[in-house]
Amino acid sequence: MVRLYTEDLNIGYGDRSIVKDLSVVIPDRQVTAIIGSNGCGKSTLLKAVTRIIPHQSGAIMLDGMSIAKENTKLLAKKMAILPQTPESASGLTVGELVSYGRYPYQKGMGRLTPKDIEVIDWALEATGTIAFKHRSVDALSGGQRQRVWIAMALAQETEIIFLDEPTTYLDMAHQLEVLELLKKLNTEQGRTIVMVLHDLNQAARFADYIIALKDGEIVKAGTNEEVIRRDVLKQVFNIDAEIGRDPRTDKPMCITYNLIKGESVEHEKGHSAADLGATRTERMQQQQQQSAG
Amino acid sequence: MIHPAVIRKYRIAVGLLIALILVTVVAGMGMGYSKLSYGRLIPTLLGHGTFKEEFVLYSVRLPRIVITLLSGMALAVSGSILQGITRNDLADPGIVGINSGAGVAIAVFFLFLPLDPGTFVYLLPAVAFAGAFVTAGLIYAFSASRHSGLQPVKLVLTGVGFSMALSGVMIVLISSAERSKVDFISRWLAGNIWGTDWPFIWAIVPWLAILIPFTLYKANRLNLLGLSEPTAVGVGVAIRSERIVLLVVAVALAAAAVSVTGGIAFIGLMAPHIAKAIVGPRHQLSVPVALLIGGWFLLLADTIGRQVVDPDGIPAGVMVALIGAPYFMYLLLKRS
Repeated sequence: MVRLYTEDLNIGYGDRSIVKDLSVVIPDRQVTAIIGSNGCGKSTLLKAVTRIIPHQSGAIMLDGMSIAKENTKLLAKKMAILPQTPESASGLTVGELVSYGRYPYQKGMGRLTPKDIEVIDWALEATGTIAFKHRSVDALSGGQRQRVWIAMALAQETEIIFLDEPTTYLDMAHQLEVLELLKKLNTEQGRTIVMVLHDLNQAARFADYIIALKDGEIVKAGTNEEVIRRDVLKQVFNIDAEIGRDPRTDKPMCITYNLIKGESVEHEKGHSAADLGATRTERMQQQQQQSAG
Repeated sequence: MIHPAVIRKYRIAVGLLIALILVTVVAGMGMGYSKLSYGRLIPTLLGHGTFKEEFVLYSVRLPRIVITLLSGMALAVSGSILQGITRNDLADPGIVGINSGAGVAIAVFFLFLPLDPGTFVYLLPAVAFAGAFVTAGLIYAFSASRHSGLQPVKLVLTGVGFSMALSGVMIVLISSAERSKVDFISRWLAGNIWGTDWPFIWAIVPWLAILIPFTLYKANRLNLLGLSEPTAVGVGVAIRSERIVLLVVAVALAAAAVSVTGGIAFIGLMAPHIAKAIVGPRHQLSVPVALLIGGWFLLLADTIGRQVVDPDGIPAGVMVALIGAPYFMYLLLKRS
């Protein structure tokens, strides 16, 4: 059964087009990773699908309804988002922050029902953060904080969870911890996980389905065997990759890689080095304006 | 999910503030230009006072106490909302042009409409209210875009710009005016509680009676608007419409207060801030505490201000600023 897909999706800021005519199906009850180089539109795609930014044309369909037309609170019962590096929680305790995830189920003043409290405790338990329940979120380490934000998304009790680079700023052990937690949520509870990942090998190891983007268009979408391949990576990242097998998980992995030398790539590189910094800032400003609404 | 210790703090804070308000009310009833001894308060309240005692208590002191208390509360709740939707601890009703907008409207009305002073006193709150609303509307129009709705940072910047421009307008307006009129306007700007009569109270009570419970009802949205936008959208807050509704509520509350008290700054800044320091950032708890702090604080400022200089006293706005300005500096220093 397909619950979530996009159709000829166009996303952009002003005249700048970021994602072009993108049609993709997100497989249900699987872990999907979106990969691609900086500025390829992967975060933008995630933001549009989770209605944080509007799309220009095309459609994002969830359960047969366009998300642009759906009630936002109703959507919050179906999908949760962990934005990229959520900022400080302004003095909230862990329990308080996670309780905010119950908003879509609350009526009136937002008093917590016994059911709410049960779900919050479960979310804290599942993410291993119950011990910090009454501590201030700001006082936690990066890895603990990330798990608390995941707990807040879990408290929403949604079948789909989106994460934008959930491992950024974490050390290797904490990265693995977060990804294993997500995998567990997928295998044990059948939740659909969609995340933007930077690390190819993490994507290969934890995702069932990978969408590789370049310049706002899909280069390849498929299983990790289909996507983590020399020719695909060459197209997506301009790298010449040596693909092997992870000796422990038997998943494909990129063992080593070189930049592809040549005139066209040099041109590309020059373009990205000079242009990317500016466009990224510009884009972030525009994103702020966009999402301010 | 709320720690029992926080709930306890909340209960203590609320109890203490109510006690402080009662003490200040009683103290204020016995203080003033005309003598009404504390021993005569209870008999007068029970209806056994002389005509003079009853007049002083019911027509002079009590209206002033009630209006001051209510205005302080309205400003504090307004400040709580504005700090929530702009995600800026330094926001207060002044930044959406309430004080300056109402001030210009009062000045224009007072200087250019040849009306009989007796009747138009009752029109002034309406004029101030309209002025505040028009200004807030203009600031909103300049800081919102059709594409992405209200932008908090732009709102703060536009608001500050407007306040400055309108202050300039005020100077131009009053520099050419007669002395007696300038006196009234400058006292209004200084926050001299002047709407001290029962009709003024009946005029602002409905606003508070509706908008304060409404704000508490919206407390959980305010909590979420204080987090990042993607987070608020993710849990299903319709941020565009919630922001507009809450902004209108904040403007209405502050405009109601300012229309009877004149320009009073800092209450809307300090009260929410102190409340959050005591009970934490959740608005379900911080708004009621801020409300009590704001009411008590303005009442205290006015009660003291009335005593210190004969015969008119120091305007409450000046008293508040005397305490508020250092607090503001402290906040700025702490942030940097």
